[in-house]
Amino acid sequence: MRLTPHQICRSRLAGIAFLLPGILLSHGVAQAQAVPLAERLQLCAGCHNPDGNSIILENPKLSGLDAGYIVRQLRDFKSGIRKSPVMSTIIPMVDEKEFPALAEFFSKQQRKPGVAVDAKRAAQGKEIYDEGIDSSAVPACSGCHNDDGSGTDKYPRIGGQNSAYVIQQLMNFKSGERANDVKAVMRAVAKRMNEKDIRAVAEYMVTLKGEPE
Amino acid sequence: MKKVAAIFVTLLLSLLLSWQAAWADAADAAKSPRFGSKDYIWGEMLPEQAEVMKLTGDPQRGKEAFRGCRGCHKADAAGKTDGTYPRLTGQHASVIIKQVTEVRAGVRINPKMDPFSSDHAVSPQEIADIAVFLAAAETTRESGKGEGDFVARGQELYEQGKCVKCHGANGEGNAVKVYPAIAAQHYGYLKREMDYIQRGVRGNSHPDMVNAIEYFTQRDIEAVADYLSRLPDHRQSLAERKGK
Ligand code: HEC
Ligand code: HEC
Repeated sequence: MRLTPHQICRSRLAGIAFLLPGILLSHGVAQAQAVPLAERLQLCAGCHNPDGNSIILENPKLSGLDAGYIVRQLRDFKSGIRKSPVMSTIIPMVDEKEFPALAEFFSKQQRKPGVAVDAKRAAQGKEIYDEGIDSSAVPACSGCHNDDGSGTDKYPRIGGQNSAYVIQQLMNFKSGERANDVKAVMRAVAKRMNEKDIRAVAEYMVTLKGEPE
Repeated sequence: MKKVAAIFVTLLLSLLLSWQAAWADAADAAKSPRFGSKDYIWGEMLPEQAEVMKLTGDPQRGKEAFRGCRGCHKADAAGKTDGTYPRLTGQHASVIIKQVTEVRAGVRINPKMDPFSSDHAVSPQEIADIAVFLAAAETTRESGKGEGDFVARGQELYEQGKCVKCHGANGEGNAVKVYPAIAAQHYGYLKREMDYIQRGVRGNSHPDMVNAIEYFTQRDIEAVADYLSRLPDHRQSLAERKGK
């Protein structure tokens, strides 16, 4: 049985444990081994698309993210500080030395926005994104991430990001399951949001360009 | 009976503290007395405030560090017109430093802002940078104002009271004495702060100001807030006076 990375990332939580031996077999050993960039990118492309604009809504777009940010996430997956059922099976195969080149590649790809499914919800999300929520003191997302979601070297690009992925991450920040945010700022923000706020803002964010002017 | 009441209030206060701040912050707050406590001395610098005051701020770096504040105080630092978030443009750097470090130490209670201005979010150098950036920042946005019915009464109360002694005839405050500039601030915020200070719940209040505002009615507070919100930015008044 040889699994493509695409199949791996399609599979959900429960399936992973079951599939793990297959993955390990297909790659010989789980030991990290540096391989040429082009070959390694095939492993990422299955879930994130060759150009980093993942079409699977549960998976993040990596296109246009700051290279330093990507490296930090990869290191956190490797050390286990950031948990992900999918990435925890992939990351043991990748050598830490490969991180900078992979990050560099994806940072140079153009971010492509998606479309909102629910226009009314997206409009509520825009209000939160641009103005914040006064009653629960949620700061506006645009303050740090910019109006177009392009981000900076300190605050990641979130414009055009897949909505299902954004919802999952904000819920993880809210519960504290994801705790690798610098200065604990995102946990503070997400704790002040309810699930409805989170769904609305995610619906709006997917429509943002993400690429700076 | 009085003792029991005092113990009860102390208990309530400590409960409030532990609810509002993490362990470490509560411990800090206990070390830094607030208005109302007998150990409170207005203007006695906290160690961190003294440390930041010695640093040289850089406005360019401050602009970048202010990103973490923009979500509430807005990109132009003009806050929100309804007064939920105060205007920070043109505030004296010394006042910004005092406020931020005292919020961090739990002297001035601000649970909304706390996680975003705490010492793991902003370094002392960044406070110094942000302070000089804000002191020079400009906005074209008008301040939020009141109904406009009692502006003349507001002016009278402000000028005849002790307010001008500290905040100045143009609401310019005093950078050296660390009195805040209050001209062109949003009506809603001015009203709220005067109310907090009058009730003794703003932890870093000046006792003389508490005395000065003691006899204000709610109407008086509204009138003064409306008057102050309509004054021009104090830097503009200064330029005009110099021009004359
Ligand atoms: C989550 C929203 C939020 C964020 C983010 C935030 N603040 Fe505030 N800030 C407030 C609120 C609310 C007040 C007013 C509190 C009150 O009413 O007493 C305030 C008040 C202030 C004051 C006092 C103003 C005065 O006139 O006394 C200063 C100074 C200040 N903030 C600076 C900052 C800085 C610097 C940052 C970024 C490091 C920041 N704030 C981030 C909500 C926020
Ligand atoms: C002894 C000097 C003094 C006097 C008199 C005084 N104030 Fe103040 N006022 C202060 C100081 C100091 C603060 C800020 C407290 C601190 O140190 O953090 C303040 C804060 C304020 C604020 C809130 C500003 C902000 O940005 O949060 C308002 C509004 C205000 N004063 C209005 C008045 C009015 C109106 C009067 C007259 C009734 C008055 N003050 C009298 C010293 C004074």
